[in-house]
Amino acid sequence: MGASSAEIRTPARTETATARPRARARWRRLLPWAAGVLVLLACFGLQTQLYTGQERTVTTIFMFVALAQAWNIIGGFAGYASFGQVVFFGIGGYSTAVVMYHLQLNFWLALVLSGLLAAAFGALIGLPLLRLKGHYFAIATLGVAEGMREVVNNVPGLTGGGAGISIPTVGPRASTPYLGNDGFYILFLLLAALAVLVGGLVSRSKFGLALRAINQDEDAAGSMGVNTTRVKVAAFTLSGFLVGLVGASYAFQQVTIFPERLFDVDITVLMVMMVVIGGSGTVLGPLLGAVGLQYVSEYLRQHYTDLHTFILGAIIIAAVVLVPQGVVTYAREATRTRDFSLLGNVRRYRL
Amino acid sequence: MSEPGTGSPVLDVRGLGRRFGGLQALSDVSFTVPPGRTLGIIGPNGAGKSTFINLVTGHIRPTSGRVLIDGRDMTGARPWSVARAGVARTFQIVKPFRGMTVRENVAVGILYGPEGTGVMSHALTAADEVLEQVGLGPLADRSPGALTVADARRLELAKALALRPRLLLLDEVMAGLRHREIEPSLALIDSLKAQGMTIIAVEHVMKAIVAISDEVLVLHQGRVLTSGEPDTVLSDPRVIEAYLGQRYVKRQQAVSPDA
Repeated sequence: MGASSAEIRTPARTETATARPRARARWRRLLPWAAGVLVLLACFGLQTQLYTGQERTVTTIFMFVALAQAWNIIGGFAGYASFGQVVFFGIGGYSTAVVMYHLQLNFWLALVLSGLLAAAFGALIGLPLLRLKGHYFAIATLGVAEGMREVVNNVPGLTGGGAGISIPTVGPRASTPYLGNDGFYILFLLLAALAVLVGGLVSRSKFGLALRAINQDEDAAGSMGVNTTRVKVAAFTLSGFLVGLVGASYAFQQVTIFPERLFDVDITVLMVMMVVIGGSGTVLGPLLGAVGLQYVSEYLRQHYTDLHTFILGAIIIAAVVLVPQGVVTYAREATRTRDFSLLGNVRRYRL
Repeated sequence: MSEPGTGSPVLDVRGLGRRFGGLQALSDVSFTVPPGRTLGIIGPNGAGKSTFINLVTGHIRPTSGRVLIDGRDMTGARPWSVARAGVARTFQIVKPFRGMTVRENVAVGILYGPEGTGVMSHALTAADEVLEQVGLGPLADRSPGALTVADARRLELAKALALRPRLLLLDEVMAGLRHREIEPSLALIDSLKAQGMTIIAVEHVMKAIVAISDEVLVLHQGRVLTSGEPDTVLSDPRVIEAYLGQRYVKRQQAVSPDA
């Protein structure tokens, strides 16, 4: 313990010695972007190889990649575990349905408007809610989502209430033709790409560093000049914007939407689980978590119809117990320390 | 830069007080710190030293009194505003950002401090300079969790210096250090003084207080007991009494009546 760092202090490094690691570090920084572009390009062709059912499944995976990535900004980087992110999904979906139904607005305009509305709502409720921490924040956000569902239920003139609302997709009232399976595949793929891109940019930015600082110690972050209120609200708003876009697209895809589905707490829970299992606070984690969980869930649904939820539950429990820090974080730590023992990992992260 | 000790004060506190429910943690504290001077604050546990620092940095709002920094009224300002006004602090219990490297820890202050550069790569380079200054250069890529107690204290100091502060508040930076680890820290503070930095150091290590302070202020039960030259203050019977109790003072006087 007491060994002073003076003993391992090295003399000033020379220029040539630092040049090679720098170049390698630059490559390592560019590698994920290159891989991301490749995967994106591959996905653009993939839908032609899929049956309709498979295409829908993959479209749903894209949707959850975007949602998990959005949740990660506030729940992962900033460490504010929101259990109400579905409120932005619902607001996005209902904004789109309402303006397309009542005003015959073009979907693309409705999409942007929905994202902005969700973001504005995020900024508005973020200010009071982000003063809370931990469980209190989780419960408060959960309450907001439940409350908003009841609001939507209780203004049937605008939202159709519990009977739902249908976006006109045919006839003279249809402002934008229905996109069809291929169209929604591309739309959700682009949303997923956007969300991953935002996550990647955040993780390497000044903003992302501030979020991680807030996650670790808010007092220390504040005393180093980080306006913690502003940064937290910005993260919540950005997350809300992305979730709002996804909700808007989902509403158009479903055509008819109901408050129960658009404000379903299950959607939030899925976002949380995907991020936590994948590795919260990383970019790859939510991506792999969403793909993995959605894929396993779909596989089980098809092959073990009766036991589907039971097996899925067991897998989730095993994942959380064995790699509580998430698969991606575990893999990074394990390759760094060359210690791949799962039992050792459980011991280190004793819950 | 003008002579140390002259010019308008960097910190000016007037009648500062804080009550927590029924407990008056600090009351009626007033003093000024001129630029380039080092003020040592001592006092027994619970005297209000940490409360005082938290009041200046905005982590706690005062219930009475005012805080002026460089003549600007910063009473009750939020911590980040105080930080951007040029006031940096360390925490008594170190607060490293785990999950980032030592270098990134320091970069936060460079990115968000008074000079606030927005470019990440510049901030990381500047962070290396600060780490070099405190002797953590070779450990820049480490995780803060892997640091020794002494190095964790150095990181705490490096994070404060990242703000390039005009006023540095040190909350027991020597606590928990071994004898031989104190010397490098003292040398570092001396070099900061030589650069003209204004420093307030809360400290229990008397050797350190005597070595670095131009002036010492004693807090006792939330009030200023006395202040002045280090040697004068530390030999003041009231100060010895506050620290060691009345019986100790009486016994000392019995041994040497002229003490």
